[in-house]
Amino acid sequence: MSTDRDTTRIVRSWLRTDEHESADRVLDNVLALLDATPQRRPRWPARRIADMNSVAKLATAVAAVFVAAVVGLTLLPGRGGPGDDPTPSPSPSPSLSPSPSSTPALLPSGSSIVFPPAGALAPGRHTLTEDGIVFSLQVPDGWYSSGLSCPLCASDAGWLQKGPIDGTDPGYAWLPFWSVKGVAADPCGQTPAPAATSAAELATGVAALPGTDVVTAPEDVTVGGRPAKHVVMKVREDIDCAAGSYYMWYDGNGDFRWATALGQTNEVWIVDVDGASLWIEGETYKGSTPALEQEIQAIIDSIQFN
Amino acid sequence: MDADLVIRAQRGDKDAYAVLAAGIADRLLAVARRILRDFDLAEDATQQALLTAWRDLPQLRDPDRFESWLHRLLVRACYAESRRERRWAPSLRLLPVGEQSADDDLSSVVDRDEIERGFRRLSIDHRAVVVLHHYLDLPLDRVAELLGIPVGTAHSRLHHAMRGLRAALEADARPPTREAAK
Repeated sequence: MSTDRDTTRIVRSWLRTDEHESADRVLDNVLALLDATPQRRPRWPARRIADMNSVAKLATAVAAVFVAAVVGLTLLPGRGGPGDDPTPSPSPSPSLSPSPSSTPALLPSGSSIVFPPAGALAPGRHTLTEDGIVFSLQVPDGWYSSGLSCPLCASDAGWLQKGPIDGTDPGYAWLPFWSVKGVAADPCGQTPAPAATSAAELATGVAALPGTDVVTAPEDVTVGGRPAKHVVMKVREDIDCAAGSYYMWYDGNGDFRWATALGQTNEVWIVDVDGASLWIEGETYKGSTPALEQEIQAIIDSIQFN
Repeated sequence: MDADLVIRAQRGDKDAYAVLAAGIADRLLAVARRILRDFDLAEDATQQALLTAWRDLPQLRDPDRFESWLHRLLVRACYAESRRERRWAPSLRLLPVGEQSADDDLSSVVDRDEIERGFRRLSIDHRAVVVLHHYLDLPLDRVAELLGIPVGTAHSRLHHAMRGLRAALEADARPPTREAAK
């Protein structure tokens, strides 16, 4: 009859037999396959504002204080903001501030996140949520979902992609949904510009990113019946750093989104959903066809907010 | 584990990843072999885990967690290989007692046979907990974290597994198995 202690001793001893397995053959195979295994980049690397140099942190902190001060002054009773001008802002730009009241397009507090599970998407309408905004869109054949099952990833935001892998060939496309707060002042230097205070400012920032060419200047459009800013830019191939070190914009956690490939084109929609902001990107790669861009536009055109 | 190497590998530095992989591949293979009890499947699982790690490494938020994350990928790869094993090679073959080395005493040979058979009866869930706890010497809370299960579940699986293994060892009171059915 074995005791528990005997069993544990025997099991531990048994597990430790033949200790000298060599993985050389596995290692050789793995290293030979690395070139054929492109890395799947979340575009939100493990780098936060907290990791930045002190100058960058100070600049961001000052910007945040400034934004908070301006917002606070604007909201003070009897104060119309700088200059006490009581005239409402004529800017039609969507606001980035969350709406104080919940509307049907925004999830009630505590609602679960909805995103199609990882894998091929059946052609048809799918419902998604991003940062409390609920919407649906029509997906054609050949699109895949990232799902949201990535607990150790830098961001739990999901994306859709054209093609079964997250590739950068001309036939692939990438369609993520984020909540972006600001752009980079120096993408290769990984330095953030102050957080934007409006969708218009964000769109202008995208168009002005060093190392990019503007394809379509910021313009007013509608997405799902909501006002939006639209801008298209292309990352130049002669920038001074690798795509993975070219930081374009950042979210509320301070996570920067990097470029996937030099020569990529990013089409950005910043949608005002009842005061909340939904950032949608359509990323295509060098050699992409107009047909793929039309496919992305059709998906955007199909968006409905509940 | 050198966090700088992990960060370099996250940015696509293959040489950095080669150093990381070389430093941990033997250990991964050893763990996979113990979970799967099959060298070929273990090699496949290890290769898959290392390639998945390379592919998804840019998504790892904390470079210091590289090793834990890689072990998690390995266990997942073992799950996948075990499913493949069920589909393609549902075999259970034990070495005949007479083929053991002369240095083995009879009781340890019988113990190994019985424990091997008992271990193979366990699910991959239970095997993983046993190997991570009793081979890698990870405390159960780390095992639970690595497998993405509650600590209570890890305790429960270990208890169930060890009870099964003990029962297998007690079977040596019966005539020893010389060869199991294929």
